[in-house]
Amino acid sequence: MMQPPAVKPGYWTHGELPANVRLGPNSVITGDYVTGDLTFKRFRSERDPGLIVGAGCTLDGVLFNVGPQGRIEIGDHCYFQETLLVSELDICIGTRVVIGWHATIVDADFHPIDPRERISDTIACSPLGGGRPRRPFTCRPVVIEDDVLIGPTSAILKGVRVGIGAVVEAGAVVVHDVPPHSRVLGNPARVIGQV
Amino acid sequence: MPPGSARVLPADWHPGAIPANVVWDPTAYVGTSYSFGRFRSERPIGLRVGRGASLCDGSVLDVGPHGRVTIGDYAIVTAARIVCDGDIAIGDYALIAWNVLVMDTYRWAFDASERARVLMSLRGTMPRVIAGVEPRPVRIGRNAWIGFEACVLPGVEVGEGAIIGARSVVIEDVPPHTIVAGNPARVLRHA
Repeated sequence: MMQPPAVKPGYWTHGELPANVRLGPNSVITGDYVTGDLTFKRFRSERDPGLIVGAGCTLDGVLFNVGPQGRIEIGDHCYFQETLLVSELDICIGTRVVIGWHATIVDADFHPIDPRERISDTIACSPLGGGRPRRPFTCRPVVIEDDVLIGPTSAILKGVRVGIGAVVEAGAVVVHDVPPHSRVLGNPARVIGQV
Repeated sequence: MPPGSARVLPADWHPGAIPANVVWDPTAYVGTSYSFGRFRSERPIGLRVGRGASLCDGSVLDVGPHGRVTIGDYAIVTAARIVCDGDIAIGDYALIAWNVLVMDTYRWAFDASERARVLMSLRGTMPRVIAGVEPRPVRIGRNAWIGFEACVLPGVEVGEGAIIGARSVVIEDVPPHTIVAGNPARVLRHA
């Protein structure tokens, strides 16, 4: 894992990347200007690569919370600000995608739906888990196509495909696919127009 | 405090100073310099905090070079995110709960080709100001109350005494003395 970089508040940080991260030319990944060293704190991907970032991306204050089987792929010329990406499977983001402040993208439920299974899973996650295996839960890949704009504080949940050129409004909770070039708003997000 | 006076807050947990164009009344409470990590206003007064008003820890003022924020007398801003490239005015006695987002601009055009033009030029830098995206002023009325984690979007005017429920997303004007809630927010009743 990476060494915590020397963090100065208000400054861009350039820490060391985990070995299974591929970062394209002219791309930067920074921490939040206070929690600068947390970007990869919960990056546990055992896949190689576990994170691919294209060229010319600005990822400012992004947290990569990636499980052992998770992988995140990000295209060229993206701009993310303070975004939470949580992956247990596959999150695939196209080129020229903008994601606003405090948006969240997840590709899994992270725990089983069945209450008994969930108790077993909760124990496995606890300090008393003692290496007991986790219980299976639903994962479905998320795809964000090219030229998408995702507004602040919105959430994209598992299995969603956001079509090319779509706009996800601030605060939207997206649980269904978003048609290309549409504008969605609300909880659950609904199409309110075209762009 | 007028421009030019003590710029370091007493007992500030975050190392840093308050920008010179931030003005606050001696009776106001300004919690920490952390709130100004993204404050880039170049206007003569970029933030004014009124008499007895509070700008509490955890608030972030993400203000661009042309942005100006006004916080009225006795208003309480708990831990809001204020994204401002134009004018945002928070009225006297207004209450803003935690993690509320108030923004007067998306900072990005809705037109994908316009966004692409900017994105291709960034090459791993922070955009300072994005041309062609006009901010639309936001006004939070006197005595309005905004519940936690609500979003107030560009161009919205929240009327005097209105109440916005927690986690609402407000996309249109809120009439005075109404209670709105939901995503998108709808009028529930009159207060």
